[in-house]
Amino acid sequence: MTEMKNLKTILVFALPLAVGLFLAASCVSTKVAMKSGAQLWGENCVRCHNTPSPAAYNDTDWETIGLHMRIRANLTAEETRKIVEFLQSAN
Amino acid sequence: MKVRIIVVLALLSCYTVAWAQEETTQGYKPSSTQFMIRGYAHAGFEYQAVDGDARSTFLGSSFVPIFIFKPSDRLLFEAELGFFYNSRNEVEVSFEYADVSYIVNDYIILRMGKFMLPFGTFTERLHPAWINRLSNAPLGFGHGGIAPAAGTGVEVRGAIPVGSAKLLYYVYAVNGPRLNTGVDEPEEAGQLMFENLIDNNNNKAFGGRLGLLPFSNSSLELGASVYGGTVGDRNDSLYSNVGALLYAFDLSYVRQLSAVRGILDIKAQYNINNVDQATYFEEELDGSFTPYTFNNSSNASFAQLSYRPTMAGNDIVKNFELVGRYSNFQAPEGAEWEQQSTQWSFGINYWLSWRTVFKVNYQSTVQQGGHGVPAGETVTTNGLFVHWAMGF
Repeated sequence: MTEMKNLKTILVFALPLAVGLFLAASCVSTKVAMKSGAQLWGENCVRCHNTPSPAAYNDTDWETIGLHMRIRANLTAEETRKIVEFLQSAN
Repeated sequence: MKVRIIVVLALLSCYTVAWAQEETTQGYKPSSTQFMIRGYAHAGFEYQAVDGDARSTFLGSSFVPIFIFKPSDRLLFEAELGFFYNSRNEVEVSFEYADVSYIVNDYIILRMGKFMLPFGTFTERLHPAWINRLSNAPLGFGHGGIAPAAGTGVEVRGAIPVGSAKLLYYVYAVNGPRLNTGVDEPEEAGQLMFENLIDNNNNKAFGGRLGLLPFSNSSLELGASVYGGTVGDRNDSLYSNVGALLYAFDLSYVRQLSAVRGILDIKAQYNINNVDQATYFEEELDGSFTPYTFNNSSNASFAQLSYRPTMAGNDIVKNFELVGRYSNFQAPEGAEWEQQSTQWSFGINYWLSWRTVFKVNYQSTVQQGGHGVPAGETVTTNGLFVHWAMGF
């Protein structure tokens, strides 16, 4: 059970680290909220794959894909909403 | 008469078009329940020379459909199947995952079922053939590797905007991996088997990942993952207390840079698996068993760089992509599956569309030990892979 003890030790260190990262990141200025859906589409989709063509799917499909990608890529709720609105407006 | 028929047909077609347009614009209303089949497929040609012994083959298509069912804006079901040809010319079907997600609020998503584990990022985000820039997974990843792919249980995940940064979190409890004690497969004694649909003990495995995207353009992501639990069978007195602890660290940097007139994509991941030391048994020629043990620690890593000149003036040039990857796998010294392998892969890809790619890769692997390699010997495998992959 040595490894289980190690797991507890890691969790003890991970929690303060997470809080520290959270606080450190809080100190910088807010920018994401001001971005357009087109900009977020260009920045986030490409983290894993090429940016999809808006014409590839219809409005209802983009809603389904948006929810799927929010979960898979762990996008924020606001990012997902703006990206889906952009794709629906540009298809 | 002919003129009359033409006029009637013309009027009829005009009415039909008008009626159809009315149906489209006024009569059509999308339902709140949505169903989609997405996924990917790939096929290709492979040439490999193992210490000069060459062999080549065309690969039959593999087809990987993903079923997505969205009953409401908060609920989503997803399931992935994989259809492949195995080496015996049989179609193999794999059940990759099937899970339900519920959006609790802007910051919490609850998932249950069999899901891809967020252990690093390669397995969950990068492994599909149309996303992976090379024709195969890095050493130690993918099927048969030391990186866990999926687990059955429950997960909470979410993304929290923090100023111009983002914090991603994942916490999960699953049945967890199972220790291969070598009873049926002596050459794999001490390995972890990750596909446990039914738990082999009452101790659930716990894991999680933290990802930080410090820049507002989401170009950089740094992640740390941990996954651990008891892996021995509940009723096996020799192994019931054996535990395992796995860590992974990952990095992703993707950005279009005007200085290089294209997209620079860097991905890296380092996995470490530590399993408690245990005694295994090797069967001798006379039928007797000799006990042995080893420090059961293994690791696998990769670093990949790709570049696509998306800002080039020529439409053909901007569809090309260059990629290089180094990967390494070290299995425990003293284990039957002991090995040290390193691999270099290079490729030129051509993107036919945003989700269809034609890949030409060269790969060289140097392997010491492991399956098919006599103890103490080194085998070099050079390969040429020509693949196409399509996401849909």
